[in-house]
Amino acid sequence: MAISVLLSFAEGNAQTKNFRSESVKIYGNCAMCEKTIEKAGNLNKKATVDWDKNTKMAIISYDSLATSKGEILKRIALAGYDSDLFFAPDDTYANLPECCQYERAKKKAHNMESHDMQMAKDHSHHIAMTQDKNALSSVFEDYFSVKDALVGTDGSLASNKAEKLLKSVSEVEMDKLPMDVHMVWMKVLKDLKVDIGNIVATKEVGDQRVYFKSLSKNMFELIKVSKLETPVYYQFCPMADGGNGANWLSLEEGIKNPYYGSQMLSCGKTVETIK
Amino acid sequence: MTNYKYCLAVFILILSNFFGHGQNVVRYDLTVTDTIVNFSGKEKRAIAVNGQIPMPTLTFTEGDIAEIVVHNRLKEGTSLHWHGVYLPNKEDGVPFLTQMPIAPNTTHTYRFPIIQNGTHWYHSHSGLQEQIGMYGSLILKKKETDPTFREGIDDLPTVPVILSEWTDIKPENVHRMLHNANDWGGIKKGTVQSYSEAIKAGHFKTKLENEWKRMLAMDVSDVYYDKFLINGKNESQLSQFKAGDKVRLRIANGGASSYFWLSYAGGKITVVANDGNDVEPVEVDRLIIGVSETYDVVVNIPQEDTAYEFLATPEDRTKSASIYLGNGTIQLKSRMPKLKYFEGMKMMNGMMNMDGSMDDMGMDMSLQKMDMNTVMYPEVTGSGDKKMDHKMDHENHTMEANAELVTLNYGMLKAPHPTTLPKDAPVKELRFELTGNMNRYVWSMDNKVLSETDKILIKKGENVRITLYNGSMMRHPMHLHGHDFRVLNGQEEYAPLKNVLDIMPMETDTIEFQANAEGDWFFHCHILYHMMAGMNRVFSYEEQAPNPYLPNKEWAYKKLQKESNKFHFMAENDFASNGNDGRAMLQNTRWSIGTEWRLGYHDDHGYESETHIGRYIGKNQWFMPFVGFDWRYRKSEGSVEKNIFGQGNTKDTRAVASLGAEYTLPLLVTLQGEVFTDGNIRFQLMREDIPVSPRLRWAFMVNTDKEYMTGFKYIVTRNLGISTHYDSDMGLGFGATLNY
Repeated sequence: MAISVLLSFAEGNAQTKNFRSESVKIYGNCAMCEKTIEKAGNLNKKATVDWDKNTKMAIISYDSLATSKGEILKRIALAGYDSDLFFAPDDTYANLPECCQYERAKKKAHNMESHDMQMAKDHSHHIAMTQDKNALSSVFEDYFSVKDALVGTDGSLASNKAEKLLKSVSEVEMDKLPMDVHMVWMKVLKDLKVDIGNIVATKEVGDQRVYFKSLSKNMFELIKVSKLETPVYYQFCPMADGGNGANWLSLEEGIKNPYYGSQMLSCGKTVETIK
Repeated sequence: MTNYKYCLAVFILILSNFFGHGQNVVRYDLTVTDTIVNFSGKEKRAIAVNGQIPMPTLTFTEGDIAEIVVHNRLKEGTSLHWHGVYLPNKEDGVPFLTQMPIAPNTTHTYRFPIIQNGTHWYHSHSGLQEQIGMYGSLILKKKETDPTFREGIDDLPTVPVILSEWTDIKPENVHRMLHNANDWGGIKKGTVQSYSEAIKAGHFKTKLENEWKRMLAMDVSDVYYDKFLINGKNESQLSQFKAGDKVRLRIANGGASSYFWLSYAGGKITVVANDGNDVEPVEVDRLIIGVSETYDVVVNIPQEDTAYEFLATPEDRTKSASIYLGNGTIQLKSRMPKLKYFEGMKMMNGMMNMDGSMDDMGMDMSLQKMDMNTVMYPEVTGSGDKKMDHKMDHENHTMEANAELVTLNYGMLKAPHPTTLPKDAPVKELRFELTGNMNRYVWSMDNKVLSETDKILIKKGENVRITLYNGSMMRHPMHLHGHDFRVLNGQEEYAPLKNVLDIMPMETDTIEFQANAEGDWFFHCHILYHMMAGMNRVFSYEEQAPNPYLPNKEWAYKKLQKESNKFHFMAENDFASNGNDGRAMLQNTRWSIGTEWRLGYHDDHGYESETHIGRYIGKNQWFMPFVGFDWRYRKSEGSVEKNIFGQGNTKDTRAVASLGAEYTLPLLVTLQGEVFTDGNIRFQLMREDIPVSPRLRWAFMVNTDKEYMTGFKYIVTRNLGISTHYDSDMGLGFGATLNY
């Protein structure tokens, strides 16, 4: 006991001796920011940060032998908050809660750039699909949206997209289909509707994936006879469905597994390219 | 006299003709000394060359003659290997294979013509010296008149970048701890993956299945490091670069066992060369650089008054190192999210067969295309993270952008010129399975370590094609000395040239090279501790000329074999209130010599010891037959104890030899059966290291002599634990366990 008191006394003494305090500007908005900034900056017995949301100024005090102003501001920037020494990573900033989306200190140039790129990509994606004059094109397009939602493990989005797919399926004008496509269409139509209906009915991703497996199988037969202009990749993950394996269709050659999402995003391989 | 002068003039003329025009000798003097460094806050021993860590960057131009004079001021032998360089075998710098070690206080000169260009590096090939400072950049510049000179790439300002790591623990000790499955590193990293953590993560079943399949907790890397370094510093800045500049980083991974993720806060990274060979430029968001690989990348400085972070993150993501390019406020790069170890464990379970072999489930994996890492961390939205649902639209946008991240893999590397081998040459086909045993840290090829194999003979002029399959649970950067090989990656005649092939678990890759450089060449895993565990082979050209630096090659090869199959010592003793409990072991790849003791404090409790000398059998080393010797003394008034087979046994004084075997059962429980010279039989079940929580271990033992023991140990430091156990002979005890 006596020793520990002595120790803490010695420690306290050392603290005051090497402790330095400075006032620095840290960009931010609200009380929530304050919490994040201080939590990121504080380091047990080595650094404390006290940020004022009105002045945007922080008092940082730290043991100058153990740490530095740079280290503290770096941690705060990595939590999403700019200072005069460090800019926060763009993705970290973007992931801050809405109330914390403060006016940044830095120019937005390459933020915009990445946004533009994203837009351009979406756009080209769209064109590729609409160019295809196939009578089933909206069915395929909606199927890919469902698949993308499952890749993102987003059950409610998948359900929404499936509803759209169901609508597209029922709007197909069968008599406009070529003979061979029509035959397959007749064969798979009933199962398609059941599987899609089941996906619409639940928001549970795990269940949706079960139906997605047989949906994909039927869709594959359909796409194979429909002869699209853009290549479609028939892909397979041997681990899906409890090790039984499952297929899906994708417009990209790169693997993005709808049965696992982020868990095993790149698990799988292309087994057939349909051109 | 005039005659003599004339002769000299002619001689000089001949000499200069011989070396050709513009061919000059570039000399470096390197003095190797012991030094004290402080990377982590603690002063530790390291090795410096010319007073610095990393070793100085050596620069040559293609066509130069390199002359490197090494002055060894250490108390031990040393050597320098020129990684990725084509050179005469005697200059390759592998002690006991291409030269004798450079003895203390002697000087050795390496001299060889530079007949290639590119980013390479050099390091000690002696023991574990590479871990404590002996690595440096080696830049071979292209001549400006070279027909392959690439404007906009080869004329950019370049910065040599060498990555490395630092541990405060002596590397010999790191190596010893790895062999003894010491999990102190796991505790420091937070990767013990104990039962309590498994339950918290909802993965109890996963952990149980993992142990059922006899696996210890897996990590993507083996060693805990205190600091990661770029050019010897954890953080540094190159403020000479301005907005609009393009910079070529010549990156070599000089780490002893760390793979690094490379990413950049200023945008895309353009990869322009790999392992010293040009590749068609390819734009990526990030890449992983294997141990000992080199990559040349070009990055931009997008805006003024900003410095951009180039971030190197070790594969286990425990820490990172940064270099800031530019001048002004530093734009940081976001850190890589923590690995989800239990997801990885779950996947491992799915791929591990009960017999310890791996099942790729019909996927033909190769060329780093499916990164097992991706299993362990979220890359897109909805990572099981419930918070996601509340997020705003534009955030989902950035997350979607994440999903588009381009990660480099070997399939994307394409040589700018055809690299095909001579068509009419005979082909020698070789196949190796990379094998390993994490529990005992045995790393091998075809389940044989170097000391169990002869040199592999190849003929000059033939094409050697090697198929590698990684059947172990870790990735291995396989390095070939003296040659570049083609990686058959689907780029047909433009297959890239490399000298290190990173191969992930369950992948199969094919490489081929033309045998055109006489000598004995090392082929090994470049993770230092795997190399020292014996994951090596030697390719030896038939009918080669003798090596002047190595007069007795047979003797030297035996020496080399021995170096990577050393015995490792471990000992521990529990100083408890009811007695001493301990063991000591000496083990190498196959042999185990171990003794256990239980020493009471008075005659009634008794004293006993059991000694076993055994040999591990099979790839998984689950089975170990042994011979043993037991000795026991106890004062118990001659009472006879009976075992469950009804065999009597006075425990008073007993000295018997035995024959027995140990077998590792599912859940890592050891079953031991023993027949003693007095006719007694004993079976025993035991496990000592059940990870209850990150620092708490549970042990139990029960045998047919009706003895039993159970206990707990709480790990306080690397060498100290607090323990309690109940023993059928000695009762309840508390104490402290010291271990080495």
